[in-house]
Amino acid sequence: MSASSAKYVYGVISATSAPPPGPGIGGAEPRLVRAHELGALVSDIDADEIALGRDAMTAHARVLEQALAAGTVLPMRFGVVMADDDAVRDELLDAHGTQLRAQLADLAGKVELKLRASYDEQGLMREAVAQDPQIARMRESLRGAPEEATYYARIQLGELVAAVVERIRQTDAGAILDSLAPLAVAFETGEPAHERIALNASFLVERDRIPEFDDQVDRIGRAQAERMRLKYTGPLPPHSFVRIAAAEA
Amino acid sequence: MAMQRGAGGGYVQRSSSAGLYEILDLLLDKGLVVDVFLRVSLVGIELLTVDARIVIASVDTYLRFAEAVNRLDLTESGGQGLPEIMENITENGASSKSKGVLEGAKDALFGGDEDSDDDDKESSGSSRSSGSGQRSRSRQRSSTRGRSS
Repeated sequence: MSASSAKYVYGVISATSAPPPGPGIGGAEPRLVRAHELGALVSDIDADEIALGRDAMTAHARVLEQALAAGTVLPMRFGVVMADDDAVRDELLDAHGTQLRAQLADLAGKVELKLRASYDEQGLMREAVAQDPQIARMRESLRGAPEEATYYARIQLGELVAAVVERIRQTDAGAILDSLAPLAVAFETGEPAHERIALNASFLVERDRIPEFDDQVDRIGRAQAERMRLKYTGPLPPHSFVRIAAAEA
Repeated sequence: MAMQRGAGGGYVQRSSSAGLYEILDLLLDKGLVVDVFLRVSLVGIELLTVDARIVIASVDTYLRFAEAVNRLDLTESGGQGLPEIMENITENGASSKSKGVLEGAKDALFGGDEDSDDDDKESSGSSRSSGSGQRSRSRQRSSTRGRSS
């Protein structure tokens, strides 16, 4: 590839929207590549050596955040770079135009709210001991024994704990989802990123229901304050609720 | 752009998208992709998707759980309130072992300045500072996505 500029793609908005103000990746100004009533938010990027780091990621998130503040945006995954405007037009807007227009319409007025709940570790371990008497017994039998001699016993104990933790997790995740799902249009749960995660979920919520959703999250947070900690992020562009199915062409 | 606001009297930590760490998984794994795009290298970022996914049904996890449950002092378990529990966590510092790779990886990318993650503060001790620098340097890889045109 010769020294030239490629196009970094942030997301898709309607062709009649203005690109959000402020710099994008590498300070380049975001602009729109338009086709089929759609506008792809792009900015120029050096095609020879595309290395994206934390700054690029921050810029990506900021551009999308501003686009969301102005209207509806279908976010691209971080790191999508296309050869030139024609490629953006042909391979994104043209090849997937029908789906993109449908999703822009579907997602109008909706945002993603992300909730992560994680347990306090000691509290979780106490619950595990309380729920399974065998855990308490094994714990006692391991007390004071040398580590090398108890390797398999400890694995066995850990397995018991893991099983109880999984039950606790499922119960809590189910209860939280049950109380929030009625306020959302849709939700998606993700894999827990570590052992103490109770729930990692994204909700698609109508903008005018956000206050109601906030209140419900607060109620959950208050009720569970001694057991878990909630991280609540948003409003975000609907990352978890967009997708391009197999090419239409 | 960091708009942190406390809601619910501090029970829930609320933030806008500015807390980049909280939305890393969305930025890296969710959103639209097309089948034709150029090769890019993600510098010090993709390790998060690789390393951060710990396998919960693993011997490592079992041993960590066993350790955590053995560490408990049940004699004082009675009506222990949250403040005391928190105190214990900071005191024994041992919960850092169960933090897993996620926080380490996060440090590699974000250094110490980014987040307001209370979870991390509890046990930010040794696992946090050690080796995070070399980690970010040594983990630069280029990921090949799609074809190069």
